[in-house]
Amino acid sequence: MRKGHRKPGVHTRIALQQFRKVFLIQVVSLVIIAGVLLLHSLSAAWSSLCGGLIFLLPSYVFVYRALVVQQTKSTPGAVIRQLYTSEIWKMGLSIALFIAVFILIQPLNPFSLFGTYIWLQLTGFIAQLRLNNSFLKL
Amino acid sequence: MEMALLYIAGALMMGLGAVGAAVGIGILGGKFLEGAARQPELIPLLRTQFFIVMGLVDAVPMIGVGLGLYVLFAVA
Repeated sequence: MRKGHRKPGVHTRIALQQFRKVFLIQVVSLVIIAGVLLLHSLSAAWSSLCGGLIFLLPSYVFVYRALVVQQTKSTPGAVIRQLYTSEIWKMGLSIALFIAVFILIQPLNPFSLFGTYIWLQLTGFIAQLRLNNSFLKL
Repeated sequence: MEMALLYIAGALMMGLGAVGAAVGIGILGGKFLEGAARQPELIPLLRTQFFIVMGLVDAVPMIGVGLGLYVLFAVA
């Protein structure tokens, strides 16, 4: 553990365990989608892989910065600052990856790219709601 | 003219997505501060709930931003 950082609490550990499960589900579904699209065409499979990575990499960075890197202070202001900074990193990284893919990858299949991206968002949404008992009453 | 319309479409997609995300995350932060001020002992629990809901709130705006960037960088 780095200096100036403290051990994560119970709620953080539970959230990290849930994130690991959701992340695994998303990676498996990405591999399945890319494998199925490989039967159609190589550019579709490559585009879906890019769409999945555009979603998964910023999510991982967000969770790492928000939950793994623990601040020494846990005042409401410090928590808000840490989570908002993590969110800005996530959005910035997503935008940079989108731009890089649109400029560098040719030919690109937009339907498989955005289809995979939206599918992973939905998978994360549903899995997160199912794993969290406190949201079931909603 | 077509190029101008494409740029306007991309800007609208990204701008409206940003407005939606800003309103959602702003309300979320405000409610977190309210809850933390009422019951400071619940800050660790509220923090993880805040983290989870923040991940859910920014999902749809990011799709809009992605589509807007596609229009700007690949179509236009």
